Amino acid sequence: MATNETPLSVRGLTKTYPAFELRDVSFDLVPGAITGFIGRNGAGKTTTLNSLLGFIRPDGGEARFHGLDMKTSAEEIKRRIGFVSAGMTYYTHKKLKTITDVTRSFYPTWDDGAYKRYMAQFSLDESKTPAALSNGMKIKYALALALSHGADLMLLDEPTSGLDPVSREELIEIFLSLRDAGKTVLFSTHITSDLDKCADRILFLQKGRLTADMGLEEFRSAYLLAEIQGELPESVKALTKGVCRVRDGFTALLNAEDAKRLDVSCRPATLDEIMVHLDKEESAQ
Amino acid sequence: MKLLKKEFRLCLHPTAPLFLALAAMVLIPNYPYAVSFFYLTLGVFFICLTGRENHDVAFTAALPVSRKQIVEGRMLLVCCLEALDLLAVGLMLWVKGLIGFTPNEAGMDANIALLGEGLIVFGLFNLIFFPRWYKDINKVGVPFLLASAAVFVYILLAIVSTYAIPFVRDCLDTQDPAFLKEKLLFVGAALLFFAAATWLSARLSVKRFENVDLQL
Repeated sequence: MATNETPLSVRGLTKTYPAFELRDVSFDLVPGAITGFIGRNGAGKTTTLNSLLGFIRPDGGEARFHGLDMKTSAEEIKRRIGFVSAGMTYYTHKKLKTITDVTRSFYPTWDDGAYKRYMAQFSLDESKTPAALSNGMKIKYALALALSHGADLMLLDEPTSGLDPVSREELIEIFLSLRDAGKTVLFSTHITSDLDKCADRILFLQKGRLTADMGLEEFRSAYLLAEIQGELPESVKALTKGVCRVRDGFTALLNAEDAKRLDVSCRPATLDEIMVHLDKEESAQ
Repeated sequence: MKLLKKEFRLCLHPTAPLFLALAAMVLIPNYPYAVSFFYLTLGVFFICLTGRENHDVAFTAALPVSRKQIVEGRMLLVCCLEALDLLAVGLMLWVKGLIGFTPNEAGMDANIALLGEGLIVFGLFNLIFFPRWYKDINKVGVPFLLASAAVFVYILLAIVSTYAIPFVRDCLDTQDPAFLKEKLLFVGAALLFFAAATWLSARLSVKRFENVDLQL
C-alpha cells in the first residue's frame, strides 16, 4: 500500500512501440533500500525509467514520488530525485566547474559543503572536462551532483555498465553508503552480480512485464539449480523454469519446492543464473 | 533567466558569436548583404547539433524545469543572438557611411532597410526551423535544410525586388537618409512579422515538444 512515505509508487505503467510493449508495470519502492531493477537488454528497464522521469510519455499508468503525481508536479519531484545514467555524458568539453555552476542555480536546496565533500571523496578535479574522465569517474561526478542537491531518491540506469571490476566495487560501496544515509536507490542493471552484493529487493522485468517484485533473499531462495550430466530427465524437463546447455550437460532452474521432490542434486542459484534461466524459458514460450 | 544562463554557458557554439563578425560583410562592394544573416542561422544549427552530441536535452530535462521552459530557453538564446547580429549589422552600416557609401548592384543597399530584411530572414528561420526540430530533436539537418531553403528563396526575391518593384527600387534601395520614413515603416513591418513568426514558432514548438518521446 503506497503512502506519502513511499519514495516511488508506480501503477499500471504501459507504453507501446511497434516492436515492444511495456505492460502494466506496478511496484512500490521501499524507503532506504537498494532495489535492483533487472532484466536482459531490451526488457524495458530504460523505457520504465525514462517514463518515470517524463522523458517519454507513457500510454497509461501513473508514477507518484512521495505521493506527488509526476504529471502535475514534475518540477517539485525532479528537485528531490537524482538521475544517473551510464550512457549519458553531458557537455564533454566543458569544465566540471561550469557544469556544476549551472546545475547549482536550479536547486534552492543545493549544499555546497556536501558538493565539496563528495568531489574530494570521489577524487574529482573541477578543472577537468567530462571527456578527460574515465567512465567510473563520470558516474561519480553525476552522483556528486545528484547528492549535492539533496536527492533522497536515486534512479540509476546501468551505472556499472562498462566499468572494470575495481570501479564497480567502488561504486557498490558508494551505493551502500547512500543506503546507510537513508537514501532510496533504484538500480537498473543487467550485471546482476553487482546486485548480489548490495541489493535489498529485486524487480525483474521480462519482455516489458514485471515478473518479480520481492526481497533479494526471497527471490534467490525461491529457486535451486540442478546440474545434470548428459541427457535431461523427463521429470526435470516437466518442472523446470528454464534450461541452459553447459559443457557436460545441462543446468535446470527449479522451484525450490519442486527440487526437493526430485532425485537430482541441486545447489542455490545466483541471481545471474536465475535471470538467465527464467529468461530462456520466457523466450522459449 | 536560469535557463538562458545555462544556454550561454553550456550550449553556445563558438561559431555563433564568430558569425556575428560576418556583419562586416556589408562593407564588401556589390554583395547580397542579406546572406550575412543566414550565417547566424548556421550558428544556430551548430548549437543544436552539438547540443544533440552533448545530450543537452537529456541534461536539461532532468533539471527541475518544464518542457515549455526548455523550448523558451533555447529560443531566447537564439533571439538574443539575432538581436546582437542586427546590432552588429547596424554598427557596420554606420561604419560604411563613414568610410564611403557605394550603391549595391546585388540587392539591397547597405542602409537601414537591410535590417528589415534581416528581421524577415530571422522570422522565417525561427518559424520553420524550431517547430520542425522540436518534433524530433535528434534530427537537426532536415529542419535546417527546410528553413535555409525558405531563407534563400526570400533572399532571392528580395534581390529581384530591388529591380522589379518600384517601391523597393526607388525608396528602400537608396542611400540613407533618403526615404527614411518609408524605410523605418518597412523595418517596423518586418519587426512585426519577426515577432509574430517567433511567437507562433514558440507555440508550435512547445506543443510538439510536450508530446514527443525523448529518445535520449
